Amino acid sequence: MKRTATYIGLITVLAVLFILSLQIGILHLDTSVFSLIGKHGSVAATTVWDVRFPRALGAVVIGGALGIAGALAQGIFRNPLAEPTLIGLSSGATFGTIVGIATGLAGYGSGVNCLAATLGTAMAAVITLFLAPNKNFGFLLTGIAFSSILTSVSGLIISISQRPGIQSLSFWNFGSLSLINFATVRVITPFILVGVVLALSLARGLNIWSLGENTAFYLGMNIRRFRFVAIIAIALLIGPAVSAVGSIAFLGLLVPHVVRLIVGPNHKHLIGYSALLGAIVLLIADLLARAAFAPHEVPLGLLTSLLGAPILIILLRARRAQWVSEQ
Amino acid sequence: MITLAKISIIRGETKVLQDFSATIAQHQATLLSGPNGSGKTSLIQAIAGTLPIATGEISIDGVDPYHSKAMELAKLRSVAPQRRTFSLAFSVAEVIEFIPARERANHWESTLELLGLKKLLTKKVTELSIGQQQRVSLGLALIQDSKFYLLDEPFSAQDSEYQIRILQLIDELKKERGVLVVSHNTDSLHSHFDQELHIS
Repeated sequence: MKRTATYIGLITVLAVLFILSLQIGILHLDTSVFSLIGKHGSVAATTVWDVRFPRALGAVVIGGALGIAGALAQGIFRNPLAEPTLIGLSSGATFGTIVGIATGLAGYGSGVNCLAATLGTAMAAVITLFLAPNKNFGFLLTGIAFSSILTSVSGLIISISQRPGIQSLSFWNFGSLSLINFATVRVITPFILVGVVLALSLARGLNIWSLGENTAFYLGMNIRRFRFVAIIAIALLIGPAVSAVGSIAFLGLLVPHVVRLIVGPNHKHLIGYSALLGAIVLLIADLLARAAFAPHEVPLGLLTSLLGAPILIILLRARRAQWVSEQ
Repeated sequence: MITLAKISIIRGETKVLQDFSATIAQHQATLLSGPNGSGKTSLIQAIAGTLPIATGEISIDGVDPYHSKAMELAKLRSVAPQRRTFSLAFSVAEVIEFIPARERANHWESTLELLGLKKLLTKKVTELSIGQQQRVSLGLALIQDSKFYLLDEPFSAQDSEYQIRILQLIDELKKERGVLVVSHNTDSLHSHFDQELHIS
């Protein structure tokens, strides 16, 4: 009951925010967005259907992907603070994207670029896992350190590259939906959908995995295959998202924690609700990024951090028992 | 049958077990005792397939556990480790669901009943006492449909009532399967076991 009500509530909020995203922006609309349905040609119609619509759609797809990716990362690494941006996965994606653009192999927004970002994410995940001395702070610190290496190298490449479309370092570090269009959404969505399907297939395994690797093995789980599929899934969710909009911090950390407070830790529910809440949070952040300081648009990653971090601190203090750390 | 033939186990740089041989038969309950640090848990882990042995051979019905697939092993042996960390606030019912009903052993319901888990189903595992958590962990292992049950210190956090209930469970289980229990404290346990192994 509670879950169904939450589900319906979240979908309603998502729909309302989606419509608001079409209505609100730097260009003020005199009419309601509904009166523009089926119309083309006017400045207002072009703004709504060719600019705001793909952007809102992108926010839903990417927000959903990042929400799930956060839930997966916390689950796989059995660490409540394992956040894709924090542990270097997003930096891996950025690195892959930038290498693709700088070498001229894959322009911004292309499928190859998306693939490069996916591989970059997977590489970062594997290396962090391999280098980490333990699963707790050692793992986090290794991720943070490796993340700075990748960010620095990416920054160097950006500074010396002459390629058009490589964007500034702040685009990649703070994330922005300003470049997203229908073409980008079309490129990243299939990747992300495969990631979502893989994530859902891991749900039961993630539940068992929370009791530790040995218990998972005792209960008959193929550990290597599980870890492999999990890393592919996470790479397919984060890589494409980052290749399109840069890294958006805190969303992946915040969303699964909030969902756990509402529907509990079962990954069978956690993954779907994290997708919904992720989409909602990104739509809100993008609305704020566009409207709060109009006519200036601010990088939305700044806002997700600014909103996300304090909420997380409050939540952790209020419900510490929700995630008792290992050892 | 589980056969241990002259096995040695090395952990880090210390030899925790040397040239240990034994057989653990089905339809029997075997008690493995020894002081702290004598290698009881290492032995369980080696039989379970999570710890490699340095020399010797282990077989469970002819299968070498360390080099076998997890799925195949799960049908041969089930393990209740000394400690399981419940890091997420699952309900007891959700933990039981980790093993889908169709894959559970036919004694699963009576096992949950005897372990007193039926009345805890809606409780969150993270909010249970250590003893209750241990029974959830034990329950998870005992409803698995395996030929052998390896229980590491199953009585350690239990009061006398539950110690008796767990002994009752072991009596039931050994009718169809094999049970190996590790315990450092064997007083009052002797009469329940068909075989006793001691490592020093």
